[in-house]
Amino acid sequence: MRTLDPQSLTQHVDRLYRAAWALCGSREDAEDLVQETFARVLSRPRVLHGDDDLYYLMRVLRNTFLTSLRTASRRPVTGAALEDVVAADPKPTSRPEQAFEVQELYATIAELPEAFRLALVAVDVLGLSYREAARALRVREATLTTRVFRARNQVAARLTPDAPRDSEIEREEKNAGGVLSSGGTP
Amino acid sequence: MSERLPKTESELIERLHAIDARAPEELHRKIEAMVAERTPARRSPGAIRWQPVAAVALAAAAVVAVLVISLVGGGGSSSQRLTVRQALALTRLPATTAAPTENPHNGTQLETAVGGVAFPYWEHLGWRSTGTRSDQISGRTVTTVFYVNGRGQRIGYAIVAGTPAPAVDGGVVSWRGGTPYRLLKRDGSHVVVWQRNGHLCVVSGHGVSSATLLSLASWQERHTLTS
Repeated sequence: MRTLDPQSLTQHVDRLYRAAWALCGSREDAEDLVQETFARVLSRPRVLHGDDDLYYLMRVLRNTFLTSLRTASRRPVTGAALEDVVAADPKPTSRPEQAFEVQELYATIAELPEAFRLALVAVDVLGLSYREAARALRVREATLTTRVFRARNQVAARLTPDAPRDSEIEREEKNAGGVLSSGGTP
Repeated sequence: MSERLPKTESELIERLHAIDARAPEELHRKIEAMVAERTPARRSPGAIRWQPVAAVALAAAAVVAVLVISLVGGGGSSSQRLTVRQALALTRLPATTAAPTENPHNGTQLETAVGGVAFPYWEHLGWRSTGTRSDQISGRTVTTVFYVNGRGQRIGYAIVAGTPAPAVDGGVVSWRGGTPYRLLKRDGSHVVVWQRNGHLCVVSGHGVSSATLLSLASWQERHTLTS
């Protein structure tokens, strides 16, 4: 058992930002999500039970993300006036040629069903092990493995122009229907 | 579609692992400021064994802070205190002057302003301004504009004159467009508190959800950025 050292958290900002970007599909929303995640973590002393900082951050990021989704669904519909058009950071990566690709990739991930999105982000974007990711997302490891596999397939299919994407994706989502609603069975 | 985009699962994994996108400097600065604010002063080695006890004490102190929820005048004396409850009470009082009109030069604002900070024009969002009042609390002028929607719900939007704005504790912080909004609940009403150009703003309405208040409160900031 140890108390989380707030100073150690700053080293994870970039990784958490990438995870938030892939979850939200937008850099501006990702910034808000990261700030809200850190505000939650720092709101009181945290005692970790032998867990890695990054695992703990993913858990809080997931909870904050799901809360923000629920809050967003309750917001009043105000039409185009509420469009969130904020100037984006012109230098999101160290390699400018990568910027477009990153935006495209993360936007595609953000279109996945919520459970698949979280699984892919925890493992492939944040770099958690399957075991850590399963615990952070509160699902069985087998469930997590299935979700990551399906999420990767769906992203690859959506990024391939000549693939039979829609029907395949619809079938995948239909097959995953029980998984997404129960949150605990593969 | 980029030629570089991955077509297979293995390419996708490889590409995702290779992304080194860095968070904006502004975000780094904000997080570092939050961490600095929350990092306790250096303890003596003997104090380390008391960390769990200290954690419990700090958590208890945080709970007390939430219950106290007070605004303390920045730089002012302790006798000059403006409480959230006082500001909230103003948003429930009747208007004393007529409704302000829309700013003819800026369709997102009303003509009434405090220290250059204008009240928002929300009619196209379904909230019509109905009146204004001005009060003095703890040596500060608080101007409140009232709005109603089609269902008869009423919102009071108060701007506290004078900078620096009083500090606010308690509640939950929610970020929108880089601005922290503090969500509180007092006397059965949701309250959203934040700063605009260094001025404290308070918006509340009986029976109005925090999500609606937050959405309205953050709308103008975002719109101002893009207009």
